[in-house]
Amino acid sequence: MNGSSFMRPAVILLFVAALAAAPFAVNQGLLFLIGIAMLQAMFALSWNLMFRYAGLASFGHAMFYGIGGYAVAAIIFHGFPLPFLLAILLSTAIGAVVAFVVALIVLQRAAGIQLAVLTLALSQLVLLFVSYTDFLGRDDGLSGLARPVLDFGFFTLDLRSPTAFYYFIMVAFALVTAGLLWFVSGRFGRVLLAVRIDSERAAFLGVDVRRKRIFVFTLAGAIASFAGALAAPWAQIISTDSMSWFNSAQPMLATLLGGAGSYWGPVIGAFGLILVNYFTRTFVGLSEFMVGGILLFVVLLAPSGIAGFFEMLRRMRNRTRTASAREHNQ
Amino acid sequence: MTAQIAFAAANGIVLGMAVFLVAAGLTLVFGILKVFNFAHGSFFMIGAYIAHAITGQDPSSLPYFLFAAFVAALAVGAMGIATDTLVLRRLSSVANDYTLIATFAILLLCDGATKMVFGQDIYAVYPPAVLDQTMDVGILLTYYSVFIVACGIIVFVLLELGLNRLWFGKLVQTVARDPWMAGVIGLRVQRLKLVSVGVSFALAGLAGGLLVANQSLSLSLGHSYLLLAFNSVIVGGLGSIRGAFVAALIFGLFESFNSLLLPSMPGTVSYMVLIAVILLKPEGLFPERT
Repeated sequence: MNGSSFMRPAVILLFVAALAAAPFAVNQGLLFLIGIAMLQAMFALSWNLMFRYAGLASFGHAMFYGIGGYAVAAIIFHGFPLPFLLAILLSTAIGAVVAFVVALIVLQRAAGIQLAVLTLALSQLVLLFVSYTDFLGRDDGLSGLARPVLDFGFFTLDLRSPTAFYYFIMVAFALVTAGLLWFVSGRFGRVLLAVRIDSERAAFLGVDVRRKRIFVFTLAGAIASFAGALAAPWAQIISTDSMSWFNSAQPMLATLLGGAGSYWGPVIGAFGLILVNYFTRTFVGLSEFMVGGILLFVVLLAPSGIAGFFEMLRRMRNRTRTASAREHNQ
Repeated sequence: MTAQIAFAAANGIVLGMAVFLVAAGLTLVFGILKVFNFAHGSFFMIGAYIAHAITGQDPSSLPYFLFAAFVAALAVGAMGIATDTLVLRRLSSVANDYTLIATFAILLLCDGATKMVFGQDIYAVYPPAVLDQTMDVGILLTYYSVFIVACGIIVFVLLELGLNRLWFGKLVQTVARDPWMAGVIGLRVQRLKLVSVGVSFALAGLAGGLLVANQSLSLSLGHSYLLLAFNSVIVGGLGSIRGAFVAALIFGLFESFNSLLLPSMPGTVSYMVLIAVILLKPEGLFPERT
C-alpha cells in the first residue's frame, strides 16, 4: 500500500480549502493574484494537455488566451446586450474555432522546431492584426471593463464584488480541472498517450493520429480562451500583452516548473510562478531573473519538476520501507 | 515614385544585413549544437549595452566604436562558453523541447540581469562622426547604413570561407555532422564545440556593438531583432549561413516594401512569408545536405 492513495485527495482538499478561505485571509491585491494564478493554472493545464498527451509543444498558445479575452472585452466594452455567461461561452467557442483552423494548418508539419516557430509566427500575426484594429483598441487594448452582474431570474450574482468574482473563478477552475482530469484518465486519454509515445504504432493499431491531435489542439485552444475570457473582466483590462510570445511562455514555464509528467504539475507551477512574482515585485528585473534561474535549475536538476520531485521522494521512501521489511523477513 | 522604391529597396537591404548580423550566430549555434537558442536576442542586447557602456552616447572615433564592439563580442563570447559548459552541454541527451525551454529560461535570466545592471532607461547612441553623414546617390543614404551593409557582407564572407574552406571550419563541420565518429578519429569534440559556440555567441555580441547606433537602446531591443532573425534562420534552412543571408535580405526587403505599400499594417507580410515557407518547404530554402 503506498502513501499517495489517501495523501493526494487530502492535499487536494487542503488546497481547495485554502483557496476557499483566501478572501477572508488575504488583502485585495493578493486575492487578485490568486485569481490570476487559477486562470494561469487553467491556461497551463490546457498547454500541457497538448504537450503531455499529444507531444505538441506550441509556442503561440497565448493567441487563444488573448482571443478569449478580447472577445469578452469587446462585448463588454462596446456594450453588446449579451448575458455574461453567454459572452464567455461565445468567446470560448471563437477560441475553439480559431484553434481548429490553426490546427488544420499547423499540424500539416507537426515537427519540433517548425511547429514551435509556426505557432509563434501565427500568434504574432494575430497580435499584429489586433494591434491595428480600432475596434479592439489598437496598441492600447481595451481598459476600464465593467465587471458584470449575473441575473438568473430568481437570484442575482453581483460579480462587481471581488469576492463574488473570485468564487466564480474558483468554481470555473474546479470544473475545468475536474473535467480535464476525467477526460485524460479515461479511454481517450490513454489513446492520446499512445499517440504521443509512438504515433506510428498507434496509427498502425487503427488510431487516426491526425484527427486526435487536431481534437486535442482545439480543446486546448478552447480552454485557453475560456481562461482568457475570465481574465479580461477580472483584470478589467486587456492588451496585446495577453497574446505576446512572452505570455505564450507562461504555461510552458508553469508546466516545466511543476512537472510535465504529472497532471497536477502545471497547477503547482502556475501558483509557484505567481508566488515568485509576488515576493520579488519590488525589485525591477529580479522576478525575471529568479524565474529564469529557477526554471534553469529545474530543467537541469529535476526535469520532472516539483511534482516529479515529490514522486521521487515517495518512491525512495517506499523502497527503503520494502527493503527494511525484507530484512525483517529474513 | 522611383525614388521611393529605390529608398525602400536601400532600407530593406540595410535592415536585411542588420538582421543577418543577428541571425548568423543563431544559425551557427544551431548548425553545431542542434539547439535553437531563444536567448540569442538577449545576448545581442547585452552586447549593445556593453558597447554603450564603453563609448557612451557619442563614440569619439570609428576605431573606438569598433573597439567597443570587439570588447562586446569578447564578453558575450565568454558568456556563451559559460552557457555551453553550464547548461547546453548537460542537456544534450534530453528531449529537444527541454533544451528549447532551457534557452527560454536563459532569455529570462539575461533580460532580468540586464534590467538590474543597466536599468530601464532608454538610451540613444549615435554613430561616430565619420559615419554620421549622408551622401546623395539619387537618394539620401547615411554612411552608417552603408557601414552596416559592409559589416554584414564581411561577416558573411568570413563565415562562408571559414566554414567551407579553412581547416578549422571543416573540423567543426565534422563534429557537427557526426560527433561520435569525430571522437573516434581523435578530434576533441567538446573543445571544438565549445570554441565554435563561443564564436557564435561572440557574433551576437559583435552585432550588438555594431548595430547599437541603429536605433534607441532599450530592453526591447533583443526581442525586436530576434523574431526577424528567427524567421530568417528558419526560412533559410536551419544551420545554413548562406540561407540565413539570403532569407535575411528577403525579409528586410519585404519589411521595407510592406511599410511602403501597406503602411497601415507594418510587419505582417514577413510573418505571412514565414508561414507560407514553412508549410510549402519546411526544411527551408537551403537545407543542410545529409
